[in-house]
Amino acid sequence: MLEGFGAIVRKDLRLEVRSGESTVALVSLSLLILVVMVLAFGPGGARRAEVAAGALWIALIFAGTLGASRALMAERESGCIRGLLLSPVEPATIYAAKLAVALIFMAEAGVAVLVMLVLFFNLEFGGGLLRLIPVFLLGALGLSALCTLLATVSGRVRAGGMLLPVLVVPLFTPALIAGSKASAALLAGQSLGAVATWLKLLCAFDVLFVTAGYLLFEHVILED
Amino acid sequence: MEHLGYLFVAYSSIFVLIGLYVIFIGRRQVRLEREVGRLETALHDVEQAAGVPQPPAEDL
Amino acid sequence: MKGYLPVTLAAATCLSMLTALYMVFVYVPTEVDQGIVQRIFYFHLPCAWVTFLAFGMVAIAGGLYLWLGHKIWDDLGYAAAELGMLFCTLVLVTGSIWAKPIWGIWWTWDSRLTTTFILWLIYGGYLLLRSFADDTEEIARFAAVLGIVGVVDVPIIIISVRLWRTIHPAVLLTRQGEHGLEDPRMVATLLVSLGAFTIMFVWLLWVRLATLRLRSRVATLRRDLAVLEAGAHL
Repeated sequence: MLEGFGAIVRKDLRLEVRSGESTVALVSLSLLILVVMVLAFGPGGARRAEVAAGALWIALIFAGTLGASRALMAERESGCIRGLLLSPVEPATIYAAKLAVALIFMAEAGVAVLVMLVLFFNLEFGGGLLRLIPVFLLGALGLSALCTLLATVSGRVRAGGMLLPVLVVPLFTPALIAGSKASAALLAGQSLGAVATWLKLLCAFDVLFVTAGYLLFEHVILED
Repeated sequence: MEHLGYLFVAYSSIFVLIGLYVIFIGRRQVRLEREVGRLETALHDVEQAAGVPQPPAEDL
Repeated sequence: MKGYLPVTLAAATCLSMLTALYMVFVYVPTEVDQGIVQRIFYFHLPCAWVTFLAFGMVAIAGGLYLWLGHKIWDDLGYAAAELGMLFCTLVLVTGSIWAKPIWGIWWTWDSRLTTTFILWLIYGGYLLLRSFADDTEEIARFAAVLGIVGVVDVPIIIISVRLWRTIHPAVLLTRQGEHGLEDPRMVATLLVSLGAFTIMFVWLLWVRLATLRLRSRVATLRRDLAVLEAGAHL
């Protein structure tokens, strides 16, 4: 099982390293979102931490939804889903691998976003930012779990690509609430202990949806 | 009786929305029943036609 | 026998609804704090009840479809989702109309309304999917998965929204007075209302299911016709 997992992850990452398409798209989209947020809300001011936290999560959601769907759609574009299904790898393992790839893409974009946040919102490259990383990763994991499970809709339905965020975002709201509240608190200087409740909520969300995805993925991955 | 208007609007909207939905289903139902009827007759006609002996195949 | 069921359900719905209406407008006493507007509650809460019932059914039907594969479970899920959306909309509308005279604003982000709104968005997405997509097995399975995921999300949405609201109590007031039903006549009225709405839900479900099954029948007939016509030309 682990070999199959490793093989798929390596394949997708290798593809990405060669073409760099997804990374470029994700980072550019995140940048644009941040620019819009700064222009709309203003970079400074007393509510800097909240606006920056909000910007981070908006960028995560929209860029992340885009990036994750690409992780699965790479096969679809070249008609390789059948190949994937015919291989001895179980659908659940395929899910785990796709999830990991989506998470890696989001983490990549996340690094870029965090750097841009510091620059745009005049934050410190310090403790607050570092404490943000686990929160961000927990959120990205939950988002990856949802997106990977539902990404197949993009290919199957008219306007499927637009439908994916419509489906994912409402489902993601608990993690969004927890993540952005925790992020705002951390950027305002609080410790991880202070946001423990939100972190527990994020963990619960992740466990729930990674499990759900793992169990249900076999029903949605069908060849075309 | 204050706020009677709100009470009235609330209850009316409940019945109006449900009523509209019922009408929507009703019209769907009628349309589908008509379609089923049409298809069943067409099916019957084709089956009858298929029962008729086919014209002999052309010699090549 | 089957033909009598929709008529019986319709009659039962009318009867129970009329009883409920009588109790709401004649029988039950007016609440002290909020006045007659409080009577919206007796239909508002049952709408929420039906919403949860319907969405629960979407998930169960989805699970059964994935397990057993029979189309009727898929149709049931679709019908339940539509009805859930209808009653969810009613919860939001009646909740909003109730909020205005009590708090002076049309919408408050209190935990119950916010949760209902998020549910509305989730199942709105479900219905958008159904309307954009064709009636294929793949879509049916995807919809089943979506329905299950939606229901799985509900408890955590409730928790997170409640936590969110306790940190910002500013704009809103918690909905007191909803569960402070002192008079037993109020409890009775609420129970009758709940019963009436449940019966209505079953009736509407049956009716909607009937049209969905007709739709499946049309698809089957069209297929048979196409096959026969192709065969006839050979």
